[in-house]
Amino acid sequence: MTSWPLVFRLARRELSGRFRGLRLLLVCLVLGVGALAAIGSLASAIGQELNARGRVLLGGDLELSVSQRTADAAELAAMRAIGRVSETIRMQSMAVAGDRTAPVQLKAIDGAYPLYGELTLADGRQVRAPRDEEAWIGEALSDRLGLKAGDRLRLGTATFRVGGVIGDEPDRLSEGFTLGPVVLVSSRGLARTGLIQPGSLYETKYRIAAPGRDPAAAAQGFARRFETAGWETRTRDRASPGASRFVERMGEFLALVALAALVIAGIGIGGGVSSYLEQRRGSIAMLKVLGATSGLVTRIYLTQVALVAGAGIALGLAIGVAATPLIGLAAGAVLPVAPGFTLQPLPLALAAAYGLLIALALCIPALIAAGRVPAAALLRGALDPRGGIGRTGAGLIAACAAAILGLTLWSSHQPLFAAGFLGAAAATFLLLVGLGAAIRAVAARLPRPRRPLPRMALATLHRPGARTVSLVVALGLGLTLFVLLAAIRTSLDGNIRRSVPERAPALFALDVPPDREVEFRRTVAAVSPGAEIAAVPLMRGTITGYRDVRVADLATIPEGAWALRGERGLTFSATLPAGSTLVQGRWWTAAEGRRALVSVDERLAAALDLKIGDPLTVSVLGLERTATIASFRRIAWDTLGFNFVLVFSPGALGDVPHNLAATIDMPAARAPAVNRALLGRFPSTSVIEVGGVLSQVQTVVRLMATAIAAAAGVAVLAGVAVLVGAIAAARAARRYDATILKVLGATRGQVLALQALEYVALSVATGLVALALGLAGAWYVVTQMFRFEWLPDWGTVLATLIVGAVATIAIGLLGSVPVLRARPASALRAL
Amino acid sequence: MPTPDLVIAARDVRLTLGAPPVEILRGVDLDVHAGESVALLGASGSGKSSLMAVLSGLERATGGRVRVGGQEFGALDEDALAVARRGRIGIVLQAFHLLPTMTARENVAVPMELAGMADAWPRAEAELAAVGLGHRLDHYPAQLSGGEQQRVAIARALAPGPSIVFADEPTGNLDAATGARIIDLLFERRAASGASLVIITHDPQLAERCDRVARMVDGRLA
Repeated sequence: MTSWPLVFRLARRELSGRFRGLRLLLVCLVLGVGALAAIGSLASAIGQELNARGRVLLGGDLELSVSQRTADAAELAAMRAIGRVSETIRMQSMAVAGDRTAPVQLKAIDGAYPLYGELTLADGRQVRAPRDEEAWIGEALSDRLGLKAGDRLRLGTATFRVGGVIGDEPDRLSEGFTLGPVVLVSSRGLARTGLIQPGSLYETKYRIAAPGRDPAAAAQGFARRFETAGWETRTRDRASPGASRFVERMGEFLALVALAALVIAGIGIGGGVSSYLEQRRGSIAMLKVLGATSGLVTRIYLTQVALVAGAGIALGLAIGVAATPLIGLAAGAVLPVAPGFTLQPLPLALAAAYGLLIALALCIPALIAAGRVPAAALLRGALDPRGGIGRTGAGLIAACAAAILGLTLWSSHQPLFAAGFLGAAAATFLLLVGLGAAIRAVAARLPRPRRPLPRMALATLHRPGARTVSLVVALGLGLTLFVLLAAIRTSLDGNIRRSVPERAPALFALDVPPDREVEFRRTVAAVSPGAEIAAVPLMRGTITGYRDVRVADLATIPEGAWALRGERGLTFSATLPAGSTLVQGRWWTAAEGRRALVSVDERLAAALDLKIGDPLTVSVLGLERTATIASFRRIAWDTLGFNFVLVFSPGALGDVPHNLAATIDMPAARAPAVNRALLGRFPSTSVIEVGGVLSQVQTVVRLMATAIAAAAGVAVLAGVAVLVGAIAAARAARRYDATILKVLGATRGQVLALQALEYVALSVATGLVALALGLAGAWYVVTQMFRFEWLPDWGTVLATLIVGAVATIAIGLLGSVPVLRARPASALRAL
Repeated sequence: MPTPDLVIAARDVRLTLGAPPVEILRGVDLDVHAGESVALLGASGSGKSSLMAVLSGLERATGGRVRVGGQEFGALDEDALAVARRGRIGIVLQAFHLLPTMTARENVAVPMELAGMADAWPRAEAELAAVGLGHRLDHYPAQLSGGEQQRVAIARALAPGPSIVFADEPTGNLDAATGARIIDLLFERRAASGASLVIITHDPQLAERCDRVARMVDGRLA
């Protein structure tokens, strides 16, 4: 056994100070580890921030919310038994200042608000609820309506003075998606507006400060006691589940993309180390001549790889840490909180471990091959190393792969998905290795062309020492990534375009009193004759039971049954709604409609295994209603009309106090005039311009697309590094050929044509496989992960593939230019 | 049976390599005694270098017996052969084959370090001084002339004090005058160490300086 100090001494002596020959290893690790470290740190920092600020974000230790009503005396007493209570009421409304209007989120707060954190105005004042005739307004509203402190605005039937512009609303994040900026008024201020009527859509939230108590137990106790009253509960550790889930999901997806980048970089690492050790072949053989054993040689070069890998990983981690606050700044609005400089030990350790394991796993074959270079290689240069990687090598690679899989599963919130992702990456790699071997085998069996150039090009694909397999893997991964990225990107763009339907309603109106529907229609028609109005009853309710199942008793919500979570919009109708198709059962007749019946979305029915005739119970305004399932419907979700998962018969919900919601279909240019006319006559009705809502949704999708593109960009960079490395590795053989060909009288054009032929043949074969692999991957990401429609722009995808392939060929040919320029005699000396 | 002072005893050595198989050595018998110098003469392709590779443990014979320094090489694998060479066998090659990333001193020290000799560095320096390169200790191969590189290679082969030195056309890459000086140096240092020498050459004059000349023809000793 040779001592490690000697190994280290020899390794250091052999290693160039500038890591010459191992720079690809360094670059790939810096890229891959850097991306993983940055993404992991960012997601982890945001998660911690959300958790740490949970009770401030939620506005209490627990939150109990209910729709279209406030708590009754018994409920209020139960809450007060838990802790200090604050009541807020939230609803959609319209703010009017002079002749300008804007949809707002009207929020009435009581004297106890906020229980945690501070409500701060833009001028720095820390305040509580405004006086009854005053309102605190969001900055966006101040900008949109040009309002400043002291100005007046109208909400419903009441006028308010702007008391100040809100700087920080502590529970803003837990409020989720809102249509329009917030306006805060006092509870009595809300009463002045006249907006709260029977059937009005509003949500009442009770936040409870109970520092010493277990909020989850308290919430559960309350929910059980008032089980049928439609209460929803949230605790401080799930203050902003939407934001947490978004960050978690997005963070995990991006981490997997970065991991894929690292795997691709790993192939570059393997290739780089392999070509480095090829160059060292003479030295290795000489070391053997001088008495070095295989084990010693392997250890010497393992030490070198470890030293360079260590440097690459350290640099990658440093870049990751430095990049985190920059990404936070760049992503700005899309992140719920923007972390500054942060050191997250776990994600950094994970990134380092991945880097080390992947480098090790992909270097082992080359290192073992180096150990097996026979001493006699000095005498016969082309001798292949003897044997495969052996049992130890295979065992080590398997151990690394198992460790990578284990780490991924352990650190993932969706282990199955993560495992699938890794499996797909491994399958892609193996497929490309197989393709490379197949191209080699086919090239060897093809009849020899008579003309010398094609004959040589064919020979370069299969001769001893040909780099066909490594080139195919590198090229295939690079081109697959290009296709994947282009297909995802254009699909998301397609979804953004698709979200603007060709015939979208120009306006949505909420809270139209049902007894004034005719007047409503007349008002619209007076300003915009021919406008199409669809009005439906709208109320909020929760599904509390189906068949003999109580939703409250379910440990987990069945897959696909998202409608069981929280409140849904509910409606009733005598006729089958537009945009729906019956798939089972039949629609009720006028007589049948007097009974309590319900028609259910076919996907929800499948998720809950519902049958026609089963009972289904909802809680509306605190009371339970049970209806019999009469039919299943297929809903065209992409129409921007009213789509309801549950449509009841008039007999089921017709007696529940409710308002109407309406879509108004007309030229968008008339929308402001209709808006003004409606506000004059229907002060309690909220009118929302669809364009504004769509642009909010589009902004989110665009930011997602950008994040995906950025993460995939790292993967593409890694892919390019691998390609350049593989081409550089193959260049030694090309140089030899080119020089000898020139000695024998070939022109530079002929030599270039020969190499171009080889690359074109490889690109065509690989490009087709890359197209299939990239599209499959992109389809999965778009439709299964993000639940978007599959709408790739085929022209762009193909153009990206072709440009990628041409660029690759150009890189390969550019590498030959120095050899082509040199005179044959000097090139010969350099061989 | 080989006599005790035999450092090399080769019997019916055969070597067949490649696909389709090529018979390179076809039954070679050769004895080399302690302190003896033997020249292997022969045309290109006659199998001289392959015989040297087999005798020095760089290649395993596919048939026959090879006993070097009392060890049966046929029973040893690649690693055991490497260990067997340590400190006992020195090799000088036509193309020098110095390790390009190491200085002259490091190149000479490596085989002694591998053999676990504690005084590797002073011995390397002394041997380099003995071949006239005491002032070039820290130069890299690329900074040395061809003659100097071959002198480093000779120092590397002899410094561990081997019992046998193989030299494969050691002047093949050098001009006549430098080659002559290198041969003088090789014989001089070999004499000083008392090692046996097997030298492959095309040069009959050089061959005559050896105790014995063996001629290879078509994979056999004539």
